[in-house]
Amino acid sequence: MRRSLPGRIWPNVTALVLFAAFAFPVYWMFNTAFKPSGQIISENPVWFPTSPTLEHFRTAVAAEHFWALVRNSVTVTVLAVGLSLLVALFASFALARMRFKGRKAIVLTFMVAQMAPWEVMVIAIYMIVRDADMLNSLVPLTLFYTVMVLPLTIITLRGYVAAVPKDLEESAMVDGCTRLQAFRRVIFPLLAPGLMATSLFGFITAWNEFPMVLILNKDAEAQTLPLWLSKFQTAFGDDWGATMAAASLFAVPILLLFLYLQRKAVAGLTSGAVKG
Amino acid sequence: MSVRTQEAPPRDRVPVEAAAAPGPPPRRAPAGRKGSLPYLLLLPALALTAVFLGYPLVTNGMLSFQNLNMTQLIQHLTEWNGVTNYTDTLGSETFWRVTLRSVVFTAVNVVVIIVVGTLVGLLLARLGPRMRLLLSVGLVLAWAMPVIAATTVYQWLFAQRFGVVNWVLAELGFGSMADYNWTGSQLSTFFVISLLLVWTSVPFVAINLYAATTTIAKELYEAAALDGAGAWQSFKSVTFPFLKPFLMVATFLEVIWIFKAFPHVFAVNEGGPDRLTETLPVYAFVEGVGNQHYGTGAAISVLTILILLALMSYYLRLVLRQEDAEESENEGKKG
Amino acid sequence: MIRKRSRHNGLLAAAGVAVLLVNLAACGSDDDKSGPDSFKGQTLTLWAMDGSTPKQWTKDVKAAFEKKTGAKLKLEVQQWNGIQQKITTALSESDPPDVIEVGNTQTPAYARTGGLADLGDLKKGLGKNWTPSLNKSAVYDGKQYAAPWFAVNRTVIYNKKIWAEAGIKGTPRTRQEFFDDLEQIDKKTDAEPLYMPGQNWYFLDGLLIGRHADLVKKKGGKWVSNLSDPKVGKAMEIYKKYASYSKAPKDKDEATPQQAEVFAKGRTGAFIGLSWEAATAIEANKKLEKDIGYFTIPGETAGKPEGVFLGGSNLAVAAGSEKQELAKEFLKIALSDKYEGALAKESGVIPNKAPLQSNLKGNPAAEAAAPAVEGGGLTPLIPEWGAVENPPNPIKTYMTSVLNGKSHRAAAKGVEGEMNKRLSQKQ
Repeated sequence: MRRSLPGRIWPNVTALVLFAAFAFPVYWMFNTAFKPSGQIISENPVWFPTSPTLEHFRTAVAAEHFWALVRNSVTVTVLAVGLSLLVALFASFALARMRFKGRKAIVLTFMVAQMAPWEVMVIAIYMIVRDADMLNSLVPLTLFYTVMVLPLTIITLRGYVAAVPKDLEESAMVDGCTRLQAFRRVIFPLLAPGLMATSLFGFITAWNEFPMVLILNKDAEAQTLPLWLSKFQTAFGDDWGATMAAASLFAVPILLLFLYLQRKAVAGLTSGAVKG
Repeated sequence: MSVRTQEAPPRDRVPVEAAAAPGPPPRRAPAGRKGSLPYLLLLPALALTAVFLGYPLVTNGMLSFQNLNMTQLIQHLTEWNGVTNYTDTLGSETFWRVTLRSVVFTAVNVVVIIVVGTLVGLLLARLGPRMRLLLSVGLVLAWAMPVIAATTVYQWLFAQRFGVVNWVLAELGFGSMADYNWTGSQLSTFFVISLLLVWTSVPFVAINLYAATTTIAKELYEAAALDGAGAWQSFKSVTFPFLKPFLMVATFLEVIWIFKAFPHVFAVNEGGPDRLTETLPVYAFVEGVGNQHYGTGAAISVLTILILLALMSYYLRLVLRQEDAEESENEGKKG
Repeated sequence: MIRKRSRHNGLLAAAGVAVLLVNLAACGSDDDKSGPDSFKGQTLTLWAMDGSTPKQWTKDVKAAFEKKTGAKLKLEVQQWNGIQQKITTALSESDPPDVIEVGNTQTPAYARTGGLADLGDLKKGLGKNWTPSLNKSAVYDGKQYAAPWFAVNRTVIYNKKIWAEAGIKGTPRTRQEFFDDLEQIDKKTDAEPLYMPGQNWYFLDGLLIGRHADLVKKKGGKWVSNLSDPKVGKAMEIYKKYASYSKAPKDKDEATPQQAEVFAKGRTGAFIGLSWEAATAIEANKKLEKDIGYFTIPGETAGKPEGVFLGGSNLAVAAGSEKQELAKEFLKIALSDKYEGALAKESGVIPNKAPLQSNLKGNPAAEAAAPAVEGGGLTPLIPEWGAVENPPNPIKTYMTSVLNGKSHRAAAKGVEGEMNKRLSQKQ
């Protein structure tokens, strides 16, 4: 297509500006984390950490039980995402491929479930878990996080399942595969991008969850990283260096995961979605 | 994440189902093993949801009819007090003010997010591959930033002392902004909260919308161009109709997310100053957990859920209608 | 040998009980019903607030406790943020923390819930000569629900270097002199004269106590807000004058950011805080140690210091704890004259018995704090009060509005509804 010179320039300029606007807070977080304290509270901002230091990261990691919290966070997140994907895969298969009574009601249930405002139910949840004598455990956390991400996972995954041509599955079955084999060999590879895309939402939700773990797990060793991060502001006052180092450490796994999965996710999205 | 597909399947499925129709599967699933299969597949999901969402919801509902404060919580007492919590809440002017504020807050943010997201998405479609990659990376960084980290970073960006935003504004000639306290007034606090929400939400809309545009067939534009349509007209006649279902779903999802956004609002200024930036979830939390009136808090949370359901009823009706259409379409093909 | 016995070896265990019982008796403990062996393998959980437990004291008390009882002590340091909810829910659990530090202003509210154990017998023994004014908050409805641990009051903590820079000699004896000094720092140096955020509400409470202003009054048998009293307005005017020497945010309290951290940067003339905050500042900036000085907050006239809030902490035992005896053992050690004195010495806090105050000698912070104790006071000691201080604390809201230019009347009017609501809340 022929476009005039300004017509070619402005999208690029806008894109650059937008890139800066979206990336800057993330950049500033890392920048602050690596700067020595003197540069952080200087009257004129220091735009690049000219003399980078790991001092703030040492402060952040030196917090009590840090590694226990890392372990807890990773465990809870991975288990919740894995479990919700597995459960959602079954459910979305039924919802996308099968006709049965009550299907509509079930779809509606998941739609409504997705709206649940979890933060305002923490006391009810607390009392249930307390009375079940399961406080300070990772089990209820994992299960609640699973259900927190389940509805959207099902709804989204249903789209991916539906988009897999049914005749593929059938031809596989004609070739002598059982239904399970057909699923594993033919459908699953096609669904992989969809699974990755949906898992992102789960990862970010479980990794971030804060109000529930705050009230359920008071035992310092049973807590997760969001609590550690939130403690920084009260415990370290305005030590922004340490706070930003902590925020960076907290954000990096998710950022990397996103950057890695996003390309596949978008690819999966476009190929999995409708073609016109 | 890929809301796109939510709307997509029906259209895609039709030919597939049609192709499958003459095959062996009978019109209606017979009773027996096959008939119970979908229920078996759904069982884990339904059971988990019932236990870990349904049960807390019911418990929360029961708590809302109780006088539940420090003493009752500590001593495990159950003191029913009828609908007092509800009459107290509904009778308080604050509740209605917070409700109105929540609705306006949600509306403003969702409109901004959808409009900006659409524009950025269309821009992505127009960029060359390298610039597109660059902008996508920026978007993904913002999108992926965990909320707790993001709120911390925003507090630092907007810090009164040594915050980079104030410095930049002062350098740009707004001298009075040098020591500006962003959390000092209702509007400026909401500004920071909204910026944070828009920043984290736009990438979702933009990236998915861009993905959707890549599936629009080029021929459609060519045909429009042949008809002498300009850029705006081809947007109106080709792009927009195609994106409409996606935009609908995205809008509804954003309504849900913004309305119940809790950490963003709470972390920036804990609903302050002067409780002027409390939205419904924050209000429920402050009254319930903060002031330790757990029964009242439960009542507010039930009302919050009802209000959200009311706001979303249109969406739910739409979903139902779509499911209906889908089912009858399939029935029709098969029959 | 006995220590290493297998848990299943009943005979040896019994022997152990006997041996240790004898040992205990030899130590002169008055509690011979439960031998320490029954404590072996147990862990006592102590919740103490950030800043309450100094290093050496903690180490010594832990060692003494573990030696005497054979149990382990697990200290969990708590942040002030959200502490009330945390304690409430914890008290409702089947395995609550055994010993909890409770702020003196919050104690009546917890006492009323039934979540705290009765410590009447402890009062009779160890607590015979606890300072009555400090013990007041630990008693509710005639019962002893907690043990007074320590009290603190605020002093002026100042940076000698900046005062010298401004050419000030000596420390002020009246409020006016203090203001003059701050003025001079403002004019002659580039430092911030005073760090005074808008919501240092315990400092305002001191000013209120100095003016004999009451925050609540009884009306028709119910407690209602007395915030609109002109005396409160007078106190707030003084606060406003103080705040005018500071660039601190008007809508934040002294903990966000920690004022000690701000002070540690070395460009703040003074702040009004607790002695441990000076320690925080020194920890953040070692070079500051030799420049830090303290003086009593000056009042209207020389010789009569400003009123202060006698903040303090009590130690309470959770009623739901299954280790009641062990918890009391701990209190007996931690609150013994030996360790109470050591705490006073190390932290510079006011101990729970008057004779122990001799431990404060030579501690400049404590010496600066001491003259004000006599004129010190508390917040209203009613169970309803705890709710008022829950965030968002309406008094803090009031303070910010006055500092932002509202009149005392208008600002008080704006929050009295909320205050009355909180005072009349069902319990």
